[in-house]
Amino acid sequence: MLLYGVSTLYSVFLWRKGFRRDDHINYLLLLGAFALHTTSMAKRGFDLNHCPVTNLYEATTFATWTIVAVYSVVGLWPRLRFLGAFAAPVLFGVGIFALMPRLDTPGTRSTLPAAWTSAHAALLALSYGAFGLSSVAALMYLSQEHDLKFHKLQAVFSRLPPIQRLDTIAARLLVAGFALLTAGLAIGAFDLGHLENPQAYRLDPKVLWSVVVWLMYLGLILMRWKFAQGGRKFALGAIGSFAFVLLTFWGTNALSLLHHP
Amino acid sequence: MSIVVLGLSHRSSPVTVREKFAFAEAELPAELKGLRGSGVADEAVILSTCNRVEVYAATQLEPMRAFAALKEFLLRSRGCEEILTEEIYSHCEPLSVQHLFKVACGLDSMVLGETEILGQLKKAYDVALQNGHTGGRLNKAFQKAFNVAKKLRTDTNIQRGSVSVGSVAVELAEKIFTRLSERNVLVIGAGDTSEKTARALLSRGAKSIIVTNRSHEKAVALAGTLGGQAVAFDELAKIFPEIDIAISSTSAPGYVLNRAKLEPLMKLRRNRALLLIDIAVPRDIDPEVNLMENVFLYNIDDLQAMADDYLKQRQEEVARCEEFIRQQAAGLVESARGRSTPGEITPAFGGH
Repeated sequence: MLLYGVSTLYSVFLWRKGFRRDDHINYLLLLGAFALHTTSMAKRGFDLNHCPVTNLYEATTFATWTIVAVYSVVGLWPRLRFLGAFAAPVLFGVGIFALMPRLDTPGTRSTLPAAWTSAHAALLALSYGAFGLSSVAALMYLSQEHDLKFHKLQAVFSRLPPIQRLDTIAARLLVAGFALLTAGLAIGAFDLGHLENPQAYRLDPKVLWSVVVWLMYLGLILMRWKFAQGGRKFALGAIGSFAFVLLTFWGTNALSLLHHP
Repeated sequence: MSIVVLGLSHRSSPVTVREKFAFAEAELPAELKGLRGSGVADEAVILSTCNRVEVYAATQLEPMRAFAALKEFLLRSRGCEEILTEEIYSHCEPLSVQHLFKVACGLDSMVLGETEILGQLKKAYDVALQNGHTGGRLNKAFQKAFNVAKKLRTDTNIQRGSVSVGSVAVELAEKIFTRLSERNVLVIGAGDTSEKTARALLSRGAKSIIVTNRSHEKAVALAGTLGGQAVAFDELAKIFPEIDIAISSTSAPGYVLNRAKLEPLMKLRRNRALLLIDIAVPRDIDPEVNLMENVFLYNIDDLQAMADDYLKQRQEEVARCEEFIRQQAAGLVESARGRSTPGEITPAFGGH
């Protein structure tokens, strides 16, 4: 977390400089954070003797791990290292969220088949990772679009890719996240059938919240493809939706009897 | 043996003088042979471009004698009988080496930081090298000059950005569209700047050019020179859905394109990004269209301001570049005198 924090501070510096500085320092900071993050997750996995995606804390750290893992690979290309300046604040923010109380609670996986529950949690964590990356690309889009609209020299001086590419990347990641979310929720629904009285959980806050999130992302995708609402509106939608997920995930999880029996 | 340079450039003489001293590439081997044969220079390179003619020589002679002999060679070789005093400059070490490095980096160019000169310098050196007119001194000096130019290009802003309106427009297009090779360009009006901008976009791989003008004959003529297609002015709305970049430079007194006209066209284009470049004075495109989503409007002042900003940034880098060049030239001269070995390019350009 400390390294994610330092990287976030350094990212502010990079933003102010319009991405003109060599950002290998940021890459190394995030690479160091990735190594520590991986070690921590591996240790927990060995301690639990299963994939460490059984509670909210683990799901959140797994999601951030997928983001930093993708960045570690992408950052091998020096021209793409600037992505770290956008990923670091997201990783730090979500990391702080993961440290909130009552997230790291054991025992929510015992009553259902472990394989299905793990698949459900892992797919959802991956989907949130994809949504997170999508919002990072959307953030880049908005930054670059603002500079282009206001005729700032920084728009051509920065190392950000063309906004059309950023828009495409944000959309593809969001669709990938939606597919993973759909698969994860479908497995969750199937998993629910193993409980004694599944109907009792129909109005569970987490179930309702999941449906809302699914509909929200479906709406974004439909607006884009059916009504050509790409660009700034789509970017704002991707960021807003991910912010909604981040801000309400913890609360709905705490209220859910299904996830907190 | 030391390196000296003698020549004339856009800084010291007008084109009417420079053109008399220009060397054709085919002449260079013979001229270099003659120069070395005269005993003035052990090694020599002649650089001849539209902005400068310079003779770089490694010589055993005292600098003042070398300058006189090189000047005589230049005047005799070009058949010039005029008495030139202010127009011709000369430098001995270390200024001669510093001058070579500055030329390589575009610091002595008419457009500060331009890169074309580096290619011309490489070519001039290559001609001399291939014909056996260079040796240890000039080889090291020129190789170092190329390295210094590369280093400064990478680590400073001296060669970054574009300083012409057309090139800025191309850079903007490259920051909006993923691939220019898939983009169609529309030229509205047949002005000189719009033609240059369209050419700049074509040179960077734009897919096609469509030209429209109130005078269809002019549109056909411009389309012919650009290798594009001409369409009638009243068919503008029909072709617009296919357009990604529009350059407008008509002499119309009012707006050719405004928000009311553009909104339905954007729907037809499914809100794809659109770059509008308004070069006309008075303006052709209502500035309010820039408020529309996925529309990016730049007028001539916006583009000129960006080009000026680039130039300003380059100018701010000159002092840093010159300091670096001084260090590198001193290192090279000292190593040639046997006091030290040639150093790598070490000073870092961390700060901006």
